[in-house]
Order: sequence, then structure tokens, then C-alpha cells
Amino acid sequence: MAYYPEPVARLIDALQRLPGIGPKTAQRLTFYMLKRPPDEVRELGDALLAVKEKITYCRTCFNVTDEDPCRLCSDPRRDEHVICVVEEPNDLLAMERTGEYRGRYHVLLGALSPLDGIGPDDLKIRELLARLEGRETTEVILATNPNVEGEATALYLAKLLRPLAVRITRIARGLPVGGDLEYADQVTLSKALEGRREIS
Amino acid sequence: MALGKSSAVVIGSFPLGESDRVVTFFSREYGKVRGVARASRRPRSRFAGALELFTVGELVFFDTGRSELLRIDHFDVVRPLARLRESLERLGHASWMVECVNRLTGERDPHAALYGLLTRGLRSMEVAPPGRVALSFVARCLDQTGHRPRLDACVECGRRAPFPRARLGEGGLVCEACAPCLPGLVPISPAATAALERLRGAPWEDVIGTPLGRTEGELKTVLDAHMTRLIGMAPRATKFLREVRRLSKIAGDRA
Ligand SMILES: [Zn+2]
Ligand SMILES: [Zn+2]
Repeated sequence: MAYYPEPVARLIDALQRLPGIGPKTAQRLTFYMLKRPPDEVRELGDALLAVKEKITYCRTCFNVTDEDPCRLCSDPRRDEHVICVVEEPNDLLAMERTGEYRGRYHVLLGALSPLDGIGPDDLKIRELLARLEGRETTEVILATNPNVEGEATALYLAKLLRPLAVRITRIARGLPVGGDLEYADQVTLSKALEGRREIS
Repeated sequence: MALGKSSAVVIGSFPLGESDRVVTFFSREYGKVRGVARASRRPRSRFAGALELFTVGELVFFDTGRSELLRIDHFDVVRPLARLRESLERLGHASWMVECVNRLTGERDPHAALYGLLTRGLRSMEVAPPGRVALSFVARCLDQTGHRPRLDACVECGRRAPFPRARLGEGGLVCEACAPCLPGLVPISPAATAALERLRGAPWEDVIGTPLGRTEGELKTVLDAHMTRLIGMAPRATKFLREVRRLSKIAGDRA
């Protein structure tokens, strides 16, 4: 890094912190941007700042939003008796793309992971419990990923919510193990939603 | 550039880029290795569910020599060990085991005996009480990786054990007189010391078949502190287990 002028080194360093980007990719992106016209680079910079300044998490469901509560939480046409629990905002989008689901959501912003030291306290689980208390929710659909972390999260939530008078279902196992929900095609995902089962 | 083959256990993984995954294996022939499993997060991946944590299988990889990451070509499941992922207690304890292996071994440092111990431990955990299996495994794992604590005498002055108010330090037991000059010691009772000695020395089946009683909780604390000292951080699985157990208390049953 010592050979680069300071602003170049700074950008490479900043890009390297992004997930999935190593030192080589960070260098390539930096030199790519040096070649682009100033307007284009300014647009990228503005977009980065805008996403941080204008987008927050909905305080009800923890989806990303530019208004709080988000459009999904404030839409009166959506069934407030059903809450679909997902790991990340991307998973919510995948569920929405199926066009099958008309209830509300709750985004956990992660999944339980013993090897990463992620426990229930690190997820939006307390907030889910608070939502279920004193509301007329009749069903909670656990739509976490079909991998170790997602299954552990569903297992935990099923036990935690069992004492509440609410139906708890898990999306069907038709989803391939080890895959990411956000990559599941719409047909598979709507089938999984349709075939959801009560979880004990 | 070389093709490699070995029996191996999945001990960790994280997503890479759009749909790949970096998987850490502990293999019989090569010790700990890491490699990229291309497109393994796609729903129709050829790896299917094979790369799930704790899965034992036959690994085929290609070492390009250009990166420390291997290219994972095949991983054929021999034992899925699915039960370890179906209960939070088992998942947490098995994670503690693989975390110890991951942190206490170097990459591409073969250790066939430790591989045997790990697969045996994981297999036992499918049927035996997870806490006891994990403690027995970790006590032996410390021995195998050269971190065997001395339990027969004070490591500072040589005073013969047992003695009252013993503590466990880096190399083993420390007596009360020597304790003030050493940092980071944890108290260990004579009962726990005896149990630890038995866990690492007695035949595996005997150890797994005998309840630890009151010393189980103490041993977990002691071995966690020992691990923390060795790896420079508290084992992550311990935090997970602690938080998940709070639920067991609420729900009144063991997950
Ligand atoms: Zn919302
Ligand atoms: Zn001494």
C-alpha cells in the first residue's frame, strides 16, 4: 500500500472492508473509478451517502425503509394476523416477489450462529415478542433459511413462542438444504409457503 | 498444482461473493484446510446439503498453488450427523468442539489422531449427553494439540496435588502460595481436577457413560477459561449456549 498516493490507498482500504471484496478487487475497482468521468463518480458517492441518510430500519418490522413505519406495516390491506419471520431484508423481497403472501413481516436482521457467537440477544427477537403481546396475531410463519443457522433460529423461535396462543408454521422443506432463500426461484418459494407446516 | 483426497469434517463456512462459500474442513490427511465451493449457495447446487456443519465425508479438492484457498471439487457425505443440528444444545456443544479444533490447529498441519477423536466425539454426541461429550472431547483435544495442563503438582513450586484452593493456569495447577504472582487463574476444586484427569485418561465409552454430576458446570467454566487463555478470546459457542439456555429456563425443558 506504501506505493499509492494517500487518496488511492484510502479508497482501496475502504473498499476492502466490504463483504466478498479482497485486496485485488479493491485495487481494480479503485483504478476503474479513477478512469471514470467525475459526474459518474460523484453520483456513486451521493448514492452511498443517501442510502445512509435516508434509509433506516422500520421500528416495527425492521425492514429497510425511507419512512417509518414502512409501507408494508402501514398498508391497511395487508393481513395483520399473520407475521412472516425472515432473516434479512433480501429474504422479505424474495417473499414479496412470489406475490402469494399478503400478511406482515418481521426481519430478524440475522440468524443464530454458534460459531459466530450470534445468540438470540443479537437478533430482533425481543421486538418480535413485543409485537406478539397483546396483538391479534394468529399465525407466525418461520421463513428462515434452510441451512444450519436458519434451522436453529426456527427451532429457537418455535420453542420460545410455544406458550403463546399462536399457530407457528415453518415453510416447507421443498427448499434445498444449504441454499439461500433469496436465490430460490419464485415457484419453489411460493410452493414452500403454501406447504408450510406446524412446527413443534 | 495438485489434486487431493481425504476423509474430512466440515468445521465452518462463510458466504463469499454472490453464491460461493468458503468452507473449512478438518481432514484426516491434511489437517485443517479451507477451500472455495463454487455456487454452493445456489438452490440447485451440486453440493446440495453436503457442506452443512459437522458433516463427515470424502473430500476431493484441487490445490492451484496460487492461493491458500483450495478449490473444492467434491464432498461426498459419509455421515450427515444431522441430529447435531436438530437441537440447540447439541448444536452449541458440537460447535464448541469444532471451534476448539479450528483455533488450536494450524492450516495444513496433519493430525490424524485428532481427526479420529473429533469424528468419534461428534458421532457420540448424536446419542450421548452433549455437555459430557464436549467436555471429554475438549479435555483430550488439549492433550493432542500440546496444551495438556499438568494436574499432579503445582507447576510453579512442585507441591504435590491435591491441595486446597487450587487454581488452573497456563501449564496446569497452581497452589495458593504461588497464585498471587500469576495472572488469569481460575479456581478448580479437587473433585473437578479428578474428573478432568478421568476425562482425558479413562476409556472413551466409560467416560461417555458416566455422569459428571456437579463437576460438569465447573469443568465447562474451567476449560472455557483455559481455551480463552490459549486462543486469546472467549469461545463463541459458549456465548451462544448461554443465551440459548436462558430459554430452556423459561420454557422449562432442555432444547
Ligand atoms: Zn415495517
Ligand atoms: Zn506452588
